[in-house]
Amino acid sequence: MLDSLLALGGLVLLRDSVEWEGRSLLKALVKKSALCGEQVHILGCEVSEEEFREGFDSDINNRLVYHDFFRDPLNWSKTEEAFPGGPLGALRAMCKRTDPVPVTIALDSLSWLLLRLPCTTLCQVLHAVSHQDSCPGDSSSVGKVSVLGLLHEELHGPGPVGALSSLAQTEVTLGGTMGQASAHILCRRPRQRPTDQTQWFSILPDFSLDLQEGPSVESQPYSDPHIPPVDPTTHLTFNLHLSKKEREARDSLILPFQFSSENTKSSLLRQQALLRPRPGQATSHIFYEPDAYDDLDQEDPDDDLDI
Amino acid sequence: MAAVATCGSVAASTGSAVATASKSNVTSFQRRGPRASVTNDSGPRLVSIAGTRPSVRNGQLLVSTGLPALDQLLGGGLAVGTVLLIEEDKYNIYSPLLFKYFLAEGIVNGHTLLVASAKEDPANILQELPAPLLDDKCKKEFDEDVYNHKTPESNIKMKIAWRYQLLPKMEIGPVSSSRFGHYYDASKRMPQELIEASNWHGFFLPEKISSTLKVEPCSLTPGYTKLLQFIQNIIYEEGFDGSNPQKKQRNILRIGIQNLGSPLWGDDICCAENGGNSHSLTKFLYVLRGLLRTSLSACIITMPTHLIQNKAIIARVTTLSDVVVGLESFIGSERETNPLYKDYHGLIHIRQIPRLNNLICDESDVKDLAFKLKRKLFTIEVDFIS
Repeated sequence: MLDSLLALGGLVLLRDSVEWEGRSLLKALVKKSALCGEQVHILGCEVSEEEFREGFDSDINNRLVYHDFFRDPLNWSKTEEAFPGGPLGALRAMCKRTDPVPVTIALDSLSWLLLRLPCTTLCQVLHAVSHQDSCPGDSSSVGKVSVLGLLHEELHGPGPVGALSSLAQTEVTLGGTMGQASAHILCRRPRQRPTDQTQWFSILPDFSLDLQEGPSVESQPYSDPHIPPVDPTTHLTFNLHLSKKEREARDSLILPFQFSSENTKSSLLRQQALLRPRPGQATSHIFYEPDAYDDLDQEDPDDDLDI
Repeated sequence: MAAVATCGSVAASTGSAVATASKSNVTSFQRRGPRASVTNDSGPRLVSIAGTRPSVRNGQLLVSTGLPALDQLLGGGLAVGTVLLIEEDKYNIYSPLLFKYFLAEGIVNGHTLLVASAKEDPANILQELPAPLLDDKCKKEFDEDVYNHKTPESNIKMKIAWRYQLLPKMEIGPVSSSRFGHYYDASKRMPQELIEASNWHGFFLPEKISSTLKVEPCSLTPGYTKLLQFIQNIIYEEGFDGSNPQKKQRNILRIGIQNLGSPLWGDDICCAENGGNSHSLTKFLYVLRGLLRTSLSACIITMPTHLIQNKAIIARVTTLSDVVVGLESFIGSERETNPLYKDYHGLIHIRQIPRLNNLICDESDVKDLAFKLKRKLFTIEVDFIS
């Protein structure tokens, strides 16, 4: 699934940390989309252009459109820049495309932008860029846009990270064990349940992606494997289940006030016994001594009823 | 028996009531109907707007939220002039459904809609509304839905406690030809002609606002200001507050605001704990409530409260809204694999119900409610497990 990340479009967040860096995965995905013939724009803010282009062969390097904001982020040299508004201006300009070619925009890194720009403005611009193709009317005219953002988790608090996650279509969190890198991919499609999957991978020296079967492959649901599911019916002091004989006895039990419609002798006898106590039987008697304060209504309307 | 005789004599003094009492022998208490009041001085007449009904508890005019089960939990429906706040679930899958049910109910009843969003174009939201299930064919589909989803254990007829089988669940079957509360099929789209026949206004934030506005601290964010102005214009121009006393039939304005408080509205309460605009949302809700109380409108707002960093803001927002319903879906939590919850998709929490002209509010007895989205219907059931 890691190789089809960009097929969905939208905002893809690559969350890395100090132990598991994400720039090599970013470069691998950039290489993949360049080889697919898509237009690739790079907003380089964190590392220099030479460092970013290192490791790519010349074919790919020629296809990348690199916007360098590392060397002169505040535009002090006042040269004729293609995008005068800084990285935000560059992103806004990309909102107004009309090409049918699919585009991948790689942000290296989104953390750099988040630390220098207000979070709300950045969210609004990212949403506008990544959702250009979502109008059902004219979907044929504008190609699919994927925005790949590299986010260093440890630099930000839960607020900005949560806000960006809620906007993202796909979130890839890098981790791993014992030298083997893994990517936990959470994919949110607009009106469907999110799907998550863990993929083990490694990046080869020429930045191609090598998918592997790691120690524990396949999707892990969020349940903790060390705690087995609790069965509440174990260790009870009473019996919840019926044995076969008990079940038969229960099924053949005749309930007291359910009378079958047939007029067999046994059911008639039963009916009589329950509804009308026989005079010969030792029924209990109630002795009632009316008090001075008791008010016996001689005109009891229930006397008219004939049961 | 004596009591009826005395009120019969009281009723006899008002001429019209005697006639009606003698015709129908049910009771001597009769309301003086419109046919009896031919004169101008007719006493209080009920405002009969399509899709509304007066509450039996406190006389407020109610509109349906689009989900009859939710209407029942709120005491009959949503009162006109109030705000229904939905706290979104974590992945925002079920709260858009409730939002769409509310809007679809407005279209079916012929109400005017106002849809505001910073994320999606309102025209796209309206295209995705669920189709209404109307009368005879809906009862058949509802029944077969119910029978298809019965588990084998529940098919064993209870022998001893047989009266409990007759106990109704929280869900109500569709009432044929009911004018209040309709059922919707979530798998089908509303027919295009119904949408086009309806009167709706859309507010899509990226179109309305230019991005270079400077915001002073302690004021409303520009997005909220524009939205409030838009709502106020619509209310005034279309006469929902009685300011244009024209001939037109009175109608209800249903306002739907999606994802309020998210960064796409320009509000940073989801990003920072003590941002500069921390009072913007609460001011917006306060002004909105003032606009609603003076007009014939009802509003639904969905808000991603799980992203708000400052918990005090959530408490303020809850106080400023009238009805607050929270959705908690089981996706991604440990409850998803819990066998006790396997029939349900999430929990629904009724956090607040308003006290409108009352000292107490109309709470239902059950607090543990769970919801599930069946193939077509969204149902709310009492969670008997916990």
